[in-house]
Amino acid sequence: MKISYNWLRELTGLDWSPEEMGDRLTLCGTACEHIESTARYMDRVLVAEVSELHPVPGADKIQRAVVDTGSERLDVICGAPNVAVGQKVPLATIGATLAGDIKITKAKIRGVVSYGMICSERELGLSDDHSGILVLDPDAPAGKSLVEYLDFDDYMLTFELTPNRPDSMSAIGIARDLAALASLKVTRPTVDLSESAESASDFISVSIDDPLACPRYAARVIRNVKVAPSPWWIRKKLWTAGIRPISNVVDITNLVMLECGHPLHAFDLDRFGSDRVVVRRARDKEKFVTLDGSEHELTENVLLITNGITGVAAAGVMGGMDSEVEDNTTNVLLEAAFFDASIIRKSRKELGIVSESSSRFEKGADPNGIEYAIDRAADLFCRVCGGEVLSTVVDCYPGRIEPKTIDFRPRRCNTVLGTDISTDRMRRIFTDLEFGVGGSETLEVTVPTFRPDIEREIDLIEEVVRIEGFDSVEDSVVNIGALFTPTHYEDHFNSEMRHVLLGTGFDEMVGHGLADSRFASLLNPDLPQVRITNPVSEELNIMRNSLVHTALGVIGHNLAHRNMDLRLFEIGKAYFPPADTSDFHEEERVVLAVTGSTPRGWRGNVRPLDFYDLTGALECLVDHFRWPQFKFTPRRISFLDESLSFRITAGNQPVGWVGRIPGNLARKTDIKQSVLVAELVLAPLIAVSGSLVQFRPLPVYPAAPRDLAIVVDQRVSAGEIVECVRQAAGDLAESVNIFDLYAGEQIEKGKKSVAISISYRSPSGSLSGDAVDEKQRLVTGSLKQMLLAEIRDK
Amino acid sequence: MSLPDEVARLKREALERIGKTDSLASLKELQVLYLGRKGLLTAVLKGLKDLPVDERRHVGGQANQCRRQLEEEFKQAAGRFASPASHTLIDPTLPGTGQRLGAAHIVSQTIDEICRIFYGMGFEIARGPDVETDYYNFEALNFPPDHPARDMQDTFFVEGGRLLRTHTTPVQSRELEKRKPPMKIITPGKCFRNEAISTRAHVSFHQVDGFLVDEDVSMADMKGALVAFCKAFFGEGLKLKFRPSYFPFTEPSAEVDIQCFLCRGKGCRVCQHTGWLEILGCGMIDPAVLEKAGHDPEKYTGYAFGVGVERPAMLKYRIDDIRLFFNNDVRFLRQFI
Ligand SMILES: [Zn+2]
Repeated sequence: MKISYNWLRELTGLDWSPEEMGDRLTLCGTACEHIESTARYMDRVLVAEVSELHPVPGADKIQRAVVDTGSERLDVICGAPNVAVGQKVPLATIGATLAGDIKITKAKIRGVVSYGMICSERELGLSDDHSGILVLDPDAPAGKSLVEYLDFDDYMLTFELTPNRPDSMSAIGIARDLAALASLKVTRPTVDLSESAESASDFISVSIDDPLACPRYAARVIRNVKVAPSPWWIRKKLWTAGIRPISNVVDITNLVMLECGHPLHAFDLDRFGSDRVVVRRARDKEKFVTLDGSEHELTENVLLITNGITGVAAAGVMGGMDSEVEDNTTNVLLEAAFFDASIIRKSRKELGIVSESSSRFEKGADPNGIEYAIDRAADLFCRVCGGEVLSTVVDCYPGRIEPKTIDFRPRRCNTVLGTDISTDRMRRIFTDLEFGVGGSETLEVTVPTFRPDIEREIDLIEEVVRIEGFDSVEDSVVNIGALFTPTHYEDHFNSEMRHVLLGTGFDEMVGHGLADSRFASLLNPDLPQVRITNPVSEELNIMRNSLVHTALGVIGHNLAHRNMDLRLFEIGKAYFPPADTSDFHEEERVVLAVTGSTPRGWRGNVRPLDFYDLTGALECLVDHFRWPQFKFTPRRISFLDESLSFRITAGNQPVGWVGRIPGNLARKTDIKQSVLVAELVLAPLIAVSGSLVQFRPLPVYPAAPRDLAIVVDQRVSAGEIVECVRQAAGDLAESVNIFDLYAGEQIEKGKKSVAISISYRSPSGSLSGDAVDEKQRLVTGSLKQMLLAEIRDK
Repeated sequence: MSLPDEVARLKREALERIGKTDSLASLKELQVLYLGRKGLLTAVLKGLKDLPVDERRHVGGQANQCRRQLEEEFKQAAGRFASPASHTLIDPTLPGTGQRLGAAHIVSQTIDEICRIFYGMGFEIARGPDVETDYYNFEALNFPPDHPARDMQDTFFVEGGRLLRTHTTPVQSRELEKRKPPMKIITPGKCFRNEAISTRAHVSFHQVDGFLVDEDVSMADMKGALVAFCKAFFGEGLKLKFRPSYFPFTEPSAEVDIQCFLCRGKGCRVCQHTGWLEILGCGMIDPAVLEKAGHDPEKYTGYAFGVGVERPAMLKYRIDDIRLFFNNDVRFLRQFI
């Protein structure tokens, strides 16, 4: 919201600079975001008279105007439909810079040299009106600077208001905070209304069908108004608020709204259609045309002002076309009503219209601010439009809304804030904010109805600190609360896993968690998805149900940017909808992915990253967390290549999968090279992690190493061989390692040569050569028998 | 001076100068100067022939010993300047081999950094679901249904009547319900807002919220804790500005601005020439929130705060596009290794 700096000065009598005003308001909760001079686009803009108008050959939309600045006559090209000879207009001369960064230079247009520009309100940065040029009064002195002529040396203060403060959506509301900061009082414009003898109640009656949605509806009748452009003082206030002046009648309702925050509406009484106002809910499918010309089909969520038959205004949102004030309007029905915030919120959502009026009502207007608002507007109708104000406000207010009185304990206030503010100071803050204060030890604070946000003692405490300033609260250096920080294994677990994986050279990704339903269905056709009902795009319409989804997206992005060699991991959640009896379910997982090659270095040995790069990193995790029985078993997984697809188990629990992404899936994310992924579910792993280490005494007696080479069928796994050796050698085999693996020339097709090193050691004495040979015979025997191995000579 | 004395002097002088040489080249020069064919020692020894035979032998022996000793000294000294190549084939300018270190994502690094500071003040971590109920995300936090405050947070809804949490404060709702004071908890995690993706906004972001509930907790305690946090996270010597704001779940509420750490308040592009950066929201937990969770707001008070993760990281590292965090381009990731 924007408000004029001069207006705030007028209301408070304060002489603070615009910056000081802005800063002080920001520190009391009315955030001033921006300060702009109203004259920022008026440098080198002068009052000039249009002396002549000539057509421009070959161009029927523009004319050549000869304008007189008092000291010289200049040719300017003008395209405005409302330009006329004899008008006084704002002329931007060469060197001026107008809104929209329009720089005025000598320019040749259609063969005519133009020495300036006649300006619209938009070009002067006053409003968005660009329908024609701004026309000044006939007596405006040519040659005078526009700022001086308009007496418009002002600033627009732009406020970013919080939704709990409807009262600050007005000049008086903001002035009230300002005044309280300086312990002053706001001076409201006085209303000196002279009413005619006739009573408005002879012309109009008001009835409310739904007093919950419309607790109060007041109306006045003003006759014989003369619709014309507003005087400059009104237009300037509207301009600084960013509102486009229309005509005196409409401008006055807007001015009063800006001034005291209460939205008003003016109907053309002669086109109102009856002599009664009936406020009711719209009927289902009832049609209504708003004054912007658009037709709406309503539901009963919309509150309608009617003439007893048809709608004349969508209450609190926008008036209707049929009863709108026009240039020939003479009699005005002026509405000042109070609508319930939630009905206005529903109405404006249904209508899809946000207006100055709706945004005030939906935050909460003041039911008891109506008297002042309607009289102030009537007074202006009388003084500005020459109208005759009939006596009597036709006021339907069945259940008066009274101000609340709240008990306030100054001591409690100081306890909550950690301050030492005196009761007198608190009392003063409340009276400066125009609250009523009674009581002594416990104050009884009466909160006017313009502050619907204040309902409890704590809300009053906030008022105290808001006006007193947060600087009055010291920064306590006492560390209060629990002194011991319990930590949770899950947190350690995730953090340790991250650091282990970083140590293995994998880069960490962080995903946003959203995913594409279609792609997720390709990866895991049978896996349920958490669907977003209002997605930002079709590509982000579910919560991911696998981290592989994110990893493939990230790999696709990197490959597209020629980052070809990747080792990535992410620890994050996969999301699942409720199934049968279970609730929504979120599963912490880790995904690892590799593609491309090992880095090219001076030692050569570049090789493609493969399955063992993934399992190597996984084994680091196995070692670190001491996961028992960590195994890979061939298993068909929907998103993995049949030829390389394993289920992972730990402690006999399934915990994940590892394998290669098939080409057809990879291509969906623009991946044209082999990608291997592993995904683990963390919960079952956490359950088997971190078993306590049992110390084994360091060996006293020497080890006896033996090597062995065998040839076996290729399908015999390394795991089976090691297991077979261990079984045969028993406890004496301290370690069994495979140190060479070969298939190819000199080895029968379908077989492989495997070299095994076995280290024998006894904790109770040195092993004799014979004892070791005996074990070794058992081992070779077992390998021959169990795995059909052929023992090779060394 | 006698010849033996002269030899002894030359030796002393040579040793002293060897000690002071700072390059191989000057050492070589020195060696030529003393021991060369036209060197100083040779020149002195020319006087030998004038001595009696006995003495000549004696002094000659001394002189030769001196020469050998100096030769050895020169050799030793040359060792100080030997290039590695002359000894071995090791070239330390080649990169070392073995594993490279993976790069931790800057989001996790920032979360860790924030959490570490609060650990130090005795806060513990709690977590909760990303797919939340309306109750914990809004209602328990005093957002009335159909209230304009809900418009401040564009929400994603999911089938089945849930929503994606718009902040991590619902974890506060859940913990308040579960526990008894004192509670001193931070809640890091992912949040979601239904916003068009741009350089400044993303559908997802991270947050570290925190709260403390106990008897006699005051706003002064909150300010103390947050000032300490800002000092630790952004550095000493920066001014802080607490200004009143509005959050439905705190009363009084405040937003905290820190003096721009890039321009130190003078105004720059990053702080949009204001000299200040908005960094966190905070306030005293609204009594209604405590009451809903079953705690007596007369007995207990508390404060709550929320710190963004991406935004301070963007400010601190001058990252100008929030989408970079989620693209996970390795050229981005590896800058923060
Ligand atoms: Zn700055």
